[in-house]
Amino acid sequence: MDQIVEKPDTLIGKPIPKPDAPDKVVGKTTYINDMVLPRMLIAKIKRTDRVHAKILSVDISAAEKVPGIVAIATAENSPKGLIGVLKDNPPLKGDKVRCIRDEIAGVAGETEEAVDEALKLIKVEYEDLPGVFDPEEALKDDAPLIHDDKPGNLSLTFDFEHGDISKAEKDSDIVLEEKYELHYVTHTCMGPGCVIADFDTHGKLTIYTQTQYPYNYKMDLAPALDISAGDIRVIQPPVGGAFGSKLDVYPFEPIAVYLAKKARRPVKLFFSREEEFIASPTRQPARVYIKQGAKKDGTITFRDVNVYLNNGGYTSWGATIPAVMMRTMTGHFRIPNVEFHSKAVYTNNPFAGSFRGYGNVQATYVTATLMDKMAEELGMDPIEFRLKNAQKPGERTPQNSLLKTAALADCIKIGAEKTNFLEKHAANVAAREKPGRIRQGIGIATSIHNAGGAKIHKSDGCGTILTMDDYGRATVITGASEIGQGIDAVITQLVSEELGIPTSDVIIANNDSAIGPWDVGVHASRTTFIAGNAARNAAVKAKQQILAAAARQSNVSIDKLDLRGGHVVQKDNGVSVTKLDRLLRQMHFAGDDAELVMVSEYYEPPSELEDKNHVGDISAAYSHGAYITELEIDTLTGGVKLHKMTCVQDVGKVINKLGIEGQMEGGIAQGIGYGLSEELIIEEGIVKNPNFRDYKVVTAPEMPEIECHFIEDDEETGPFGAKGISELPCIIPGASIANAVYNAIGVRFDNPPITPEKIVRALHGDKIEAAE
Amino acid sequence: MSTIENYLAPSSIDDAAAALAAGSATIVAGGTDLMLQAGSGQKEYAPTLINIQKITEMRGVSLDGDTIRIGALTTITDLLTDEIIAEHLPVMATMADKFASDQIRNAGTVGGNICNASPAGDGIVPLLMYKAEAVLASKPNGSTETRKVPLDEFFTGPGKSVIQENELLIGVDIAVPPAGFVGGFGKFGPRPALEIAMAAVGLGGVVKDGVISDVRVAFGAVAPTPIRSAETEAALEGKKLDETTISAAGEIASSSISPITDIRASDWYRRHLIRVMTEEILNDVS
Ligand SMILES: Cc1cc2nc3c(=O)[nH]c(=O)nc-3n(C[C@H](O)[C@H](O)[C@H](O)COP(=O)(O)OP(=O)(O)OC[C@H]3O[C@@H](n4cnc5c(N)ncnc54)[C@H](O)[C@@H]3O)c2cc1C
Repeated sequence: MDQIVEKPDTLIGKPIPKPDAPDKVVGKTTYINDMVLPRMLIAKIKRTDRVHAKILSVDISAAEKVPGIVAIATAENSPKGLIGVLKDNPPLKGDKVRCIRDEIAGVAGETEEAVDEALKLIKVEYEDLPGVFDPEEALKDDAPLIHDDKPGNLSLTFDFEHGDISKAEKDSDIVLEEKYELHYVTHTCMGPGCVIADFDTHGKLTIYTQTQYPYNYKMDLAPALDISAGDIRVIQPPVGGAFGSKLDVYPFEPIAVYLAKKARRPVKLFFSREEEFIASPTRQPARVYIKQGAKKDGTITFRDVNVYLNNGGYTSWGATIPAVMMRTMTGHFRIPNVEFHSKAVYTNNPFAGSFRGYGNVQATYVTATLMDKMAEELGMDPIEFRLKNAQKPGERTPQNSLLKTAALADCIKIGAEKTNFLEKHAANVAAREKPGRIRQGIGIATSIHNAGGAKIHKSDGCGTILTMDDYGRATVITGASEIGQGIDAVITQLVSEELGIPTSDVIIANNDSAIGPWDVGVHASRTTFIAGNAARNAAVKAKQQILAAAARQSNVSIDKLDLRGGHVVQKDNGVSVTKLDRLLRQMHFAGDDAELVMVSEYYEPPSELEDKNHVGDISAAYSHGAYITELEIDTLTGGVKLHKMTCVQDVGKVINKLGIEGQMEGGIAQGIGYGLSEELIIEEGIVKNPNFRDYKVVTAPEMPEIECHFIEDDEETGPFGAKGISELPCIIPGASIANAVYNAIGVRFDNPPITPEKIVRALHGDKIEAAE
Repeated sequence: MSTIENYLAPSSIDDAAAALAAGSATIVAGGTDLMLQAGSGQKEYAPTLINIQKITEMRGVSLDGDTIRIGALTTITDLLTDEIIAEHLPVMATMADKFASDQIRNAGTVGGNICNASPAGDGIVPLLMYKAEAVLASKPNGSTETRKVPLDEFFTGPGKSVIQENELLIGVDIAVPPAGFVGGFGKFGPRPALEIAMAAVGLGGVVKDGVISDVRVAFGAVAPTPIRSAETEAALEGKKLDETTISAAGEIASSSISPITDIRASDWYRRHLIRVMTEEILNDVS
């Protein structure tokens, strides 16, 4: 009797648990912070307590004598190479310190106690220099110079012009001009900074790190170490979050390597929680001056944007956020004439890195609240005004992003319908006039983000090798890193879908640069799209090889065969031709004809680099979202209670339902924190709240109900139609909340977070109001 | 660097007092304040660490005649479930319900909250309102002695109190509130959970025919220590709880204090919150 294999349900869109989840839940996972290597030393960093000062001397003589201290690295006794996006950051500071996180020495010892004792005994003499903490102040002629070779304290500038904004301004019926002050927030990874450096006897380095970009990381790390990038092996053990904070090389990493080299022993260097707040990169703060004009009928005429970025003491990715910010400022809604200018300016503040949303959190806060203001000014409702200016499928933005699907209008319409937006919005405005302590608010915000990778390096590719073993299992060696975001689950799903094998029969090998082929890294919502395509294409190749062998063996033509349930079957009737594992063994052990199923794929997305004028279609796809917040405000305490967030997002295709929900919820929690409660308070360069007591992350009781509506418009270049989805959930909530707050109480906040005290002050001035 | 040389875990008040008499000791109860302060370098461990958790006689709530004793080791969670608290001191349970998170409530103790002497110690506010007295034990001359200090005389500054190095807080005594006594507790921080108070109010009195008497008002997080507000009490004593009285009391409450401005809140906002919460509780009990 023929065995019939039923066609199973597709796995695409199903909830697939992350393979790493059970170990994490039962406490079995060895995070990098838990790792212990034989003979490993413990290391910490001596940081400065000044924000801007000349270093006169560093005395380590007493520290060296502490029993158990094995090595101390200082600028004097360590390699001199520089790190950072502009190579302006010496891992150990020898001549001067430029911000409060600056590293003076690394100390490695047998125990944490010994290291702590030694850190206290390192004596540093300084000559304080005047500090500057505001980017516009730092641009002035008489401002203190922070880097001798950076005149005017200028770090990076971005300039983009399209059309004629002065003419457009003249032709506008209304023009709004606003200033926004966007604050410091930080990633608050559950696992604080940690790195382990270990040299073998050949002088080759293995570095265990939290990095999100293992391959280019070697290139960035090597110059600081006096070794060749090829002699570095990067291993990425499980981490407690990254969110962009591990996309650059930061001083603690080379310092651990210096210590390992000196001690000739493995060295583990880690941060305390306080240090994590002070010495890991922040989200880039921004001061934005924006002007926008429109015709009476609601047609936007122009935007003029000038941004000042507080660069801090050194340049990491924070200073490059205009690359992403600009796409939204110039291309979110149809903006016929637009200019964007930004200056990142050195100051004596800590510095920013990349952070989920990358400049778009800031851009969206500005543009989405400005859209609301302008709608009101025009006497239009917030939905109508947005729809009027939403691009149509096929349009290109001034920077040449091709909006193939452009679901913006759909997102807005669906969101408005599902929430009964207009009715509630009008009712809340009317209710403002009536007495009452509690006010209800509803607000909408929208944005756009790259959803098919982002070509910021010469390649945005990912390599994948797929092999089948003799038992029908597939091993996928991917360049994509699993840092908790869930790519292992997605690849498992895509490959098992293609090869007709259970998800438990897919093995993922990654997170080791000695094994995996090249990949850019985990950023830009790119991994499901890019690594997913690479894995799927590899699986298609493997399938072809297997079916070709089956066709030869069975005399059924290849186009009539398929893989299903661990069998090769006849496509039309499901009759098993052979079992997959049996076929694989026959192929493998076939004497002179032996073939192993072992294929590779390097996937490069169809996108282009920007030219020097910032024009270029940098992503293979773009995604839109419209998030609607419903909340209430206690006008006496200023307390904000979120009821619901309705999120409409164009995702191409849902691959892993659990994964996408996790990304949505986690991103939204961060987005709410940005809008309402999180702020790293930095005064004169000093971090005032380096702890979870005073840095207010969102906790479970504050999370609103989240309702997601995914628009599945099948992105033709995505794996099974998928787009990258994971930054919009963090990008939009802050702006959506700000608009809902306005709807509730009629007050705008151009300086998030919108804290209870800010609300009460705005409502009551300096009067102390009685409760009704 | 401070290192712990001895670890003691006495099982009676007597043994603990004896251990304290030797000097140079740090007491640990739940450790939810101490461990953090020692970890950040704000506090140093003395050479002897005395874990008092084994002194079972110091945990729990008891009623003896007209006096309620809350043992120093009573946890915040205990306050939420104890029947004597529910019947006689319900505002302690209201407070416990706004305190930290389950994990911290399970470990943190009433005695630790008092002895930590934080200006923002939530437990202290309703205890001041209930006119609690601290009961302190020591063993200066070979025999255990106790003394009582009214809680409104107990605190001397942030983190400071009259407790001596050789003394142990064994609990607080509270006279059963008079018939008709009603009260409330309010605390504000931006989050509904896991929040340090920007301002807190404990307020109670005997309300009869709309008139309030035996008024006690206590504030947290608006002065160097949690405080009683004599001015607010005077503004309410014997008054009918109508809109005018309530509004006047709120105004006096907010103007009678001079809180600091720090990264958590400005003095203005703290005074505003005190007014709002004072009036809110008065509206609730009227
Ligand atoms: C995450 C978090 C949230 C928190 N939330 C709140 C909150 O909402 N409200 C609030 O008020 N507090 C809060 N706290 C602070 C803390 O939990 C409380 O103050 C708690 O009641 C302290 O009790 P404990 O038993 O842990 O004290 P411990 O830390 O053990 O002791 C505190 C101090 O008192 C001394 N001590 C303790 N018991 C005695 C005794 N019987 N006799 C003499 N000295 C003694 C100790 O030596 C120490 O100096 C929070 C703490 C954390 C970590």
